Amino acid sequence: MSQATLEIRNLQVIYGGAIEAVRDVSVRVEPGRIVALLGANGAGKSTLLKAVSGVLAKEEGEIEGGAITFGGRDIAGLPAEMIVRLGIVQVPEGRRLFAPLTVDENLEMGGYAAGPRVLAERRAMVFELFPRLAERRRQISGYLSGGEQQMVAIGRALMGGPRLLALDEPSLGLAPIVIDQIYSVIARLNKELGLAVLLVEQNAQRALDIADYGYIVERGRIVLDGEADSLTANDDVREFYLGVSGADQKSLREVKHYKRRKRWLS
Amino acid sequence: MQYLVDLVVSGIAVGAIYGLVAMGFALIYKATGLVNFAQGEMAMVIAYIAWTIAGTVPGHPWLVVGGALVAALLLGLVIERLIMRPMLGEPVFATVMVTIALAVILRSLVLLVWDPYPHALDIGVGRDVIHFGGTGVRSAQVAVMATLLATCAVMWAFFRFSRIGKAMRAVAADERTAQLMGISAARIHAVAWVGSSLIAGIAGIFFALIYDVSPNLYHVGLKAFPATILGGLDSVLGSGLSGVVLGVAENLAGGYLAPSLKEITGFAVIIAVLMVRPFGLFGEREIERV
Repeated sequence: MSQATLEIRNLQVIYGGAIEAVRDVSVRVEPGRIVALLGANGAGKSTLLKAVSGVLAKEEGEIEGGAITFGGRDIAGLPAEMIVRLGIVQVPEGRRLFAPLTVDENLEMGGYAAGPRVLAERRAMVFELFPRLAERRRQISGYLSGGEQQMVAIGRALMGGPRLLALDEPSLGLAPIVIDQIYSVIARLNKELGLAVLLVEQNAQRALDIADYGYIVERGRIVLDGEADSLTANDDVREFYLGVSGADQKSLREVKHYKRRKRWLS
Repeated sequence: MQYLVDLVVSGIAVGAIYGLVAMGFALIYKATGLVNFAQGEMAMVIAYIAWTIAGTVPGHPWLVVGGALVAALLLGLVIERLIMRPMLGEPVFATVMVTIALAVILRSLVLLVWDPYPHALDIGVGRDVIHFGGTGVRSAQVAVMATLLATCAVMWAFFRFSRIGKAMRAVAADERTAQLMGISAARIHAVAWVGSSLIAGIAGIFFALIYDVSPNLYHVGLKAFPATILGGLDSVLGSGLSGVVLGVAENLAGGYLAPSLKEITGFAVIIAVLMVRPFGLFGEREIERV
């Protein structure tokens, strides 16, 4: 599978013609890299992913400015099914399985565009990654546990043969031990298959552990970005996203200082 | 006793027609989340087209059926493409209003193109009476029961085994995620409209064969709608079966209680059923994990 870079340049997204959810955001995901998009609730991370996957219109969102290209090709405004065929597949937030369908049928839907032979190969790969799903393949997916559902969601996306896998909060609502499993699979996919990953997370610690590069999004803008190591080492990130603070309590003045500094950066 | 058997048998036959139309309702609801109030009108238009073909080239029953079904296919395609697709993403209420408008337009169209008088659809088959014991049944009535069964079997296999059928269930479960997986919701909607129109067409032809072609034929849609509710709006097979249940129920009510009750039996039954099972007899319950 050929390599392609996802490049988002100065993207601006507006909901309902009035609310600006994402403003001047530029993100780059190179082949074989894991890029993390971090930020609190409502920061605009999911909006960014929806823009990339071409499903903004359902929620009256619109790309007002900027460009999204994948492998040099402009993909902003393409219908969702075209973007999947180009190789960007998303694991949506909250898993969103087709609840009345079985595990097998969910996986088949992920590979909707593929022929039966390719489908069988990919299914074998998914079952190799998540042996648990092989046991549960005939069960109705809506009744699986949260962790198993996340496995189905990731497996389903892999069935589409992605060149870039976009994950929206894969750790949401899962037990720490399950999050470990999910993250080790993401890391393994990246290492063994060279799969590019765009990882949206609130759980900054987990994400930065496996990511190569990170962006921090606040109120629709990128306020910081850098190699994962340097972000992890950054004092402000440590304090506000990783929850590692110095021994003594910080005063409010210092918080203000951080905010001021971010404005400088953005 | 003979009276009861007669009522039940003719009830099953008319119920099979309701069942077919009800399956059309359910198919569109399942795929698009809409109730298409023009379902009975679509059946009527196809019945009229069949009647026209039968009048133009007499003596070719298969040509009549084949031609009418091709017309049904085109009708479904045209309605989806020209009327429903531009409404994609609009509020459900507005879209359902559009189907009501479509119903009125199709009704007027029938009066405009054809005439307001009832006609017999004579294709040379279906009128002969077959005797089972003391009960006489027309062969078209037997055929419509068999057709309902066959259609149910086809739909079951379609949802179970075909890629498009599974995709339709996926779209019904979560349309946006289906799109994220590369499934074109618009194409799935088109398939549902075409399938629904075909089933409605089959029902319309049988209705015309057993009774007649008239501008009141669309009433079959009003009779079938309770069957869809009874079966569960999203249950295609359940709707088919419920049509038979309601057909028998209304015949019994009409035969034993009062003929005027026939018209309201279906609605009386669904009121009772919905109090107990709001999602219909076979409708899908929301899957909830606790």
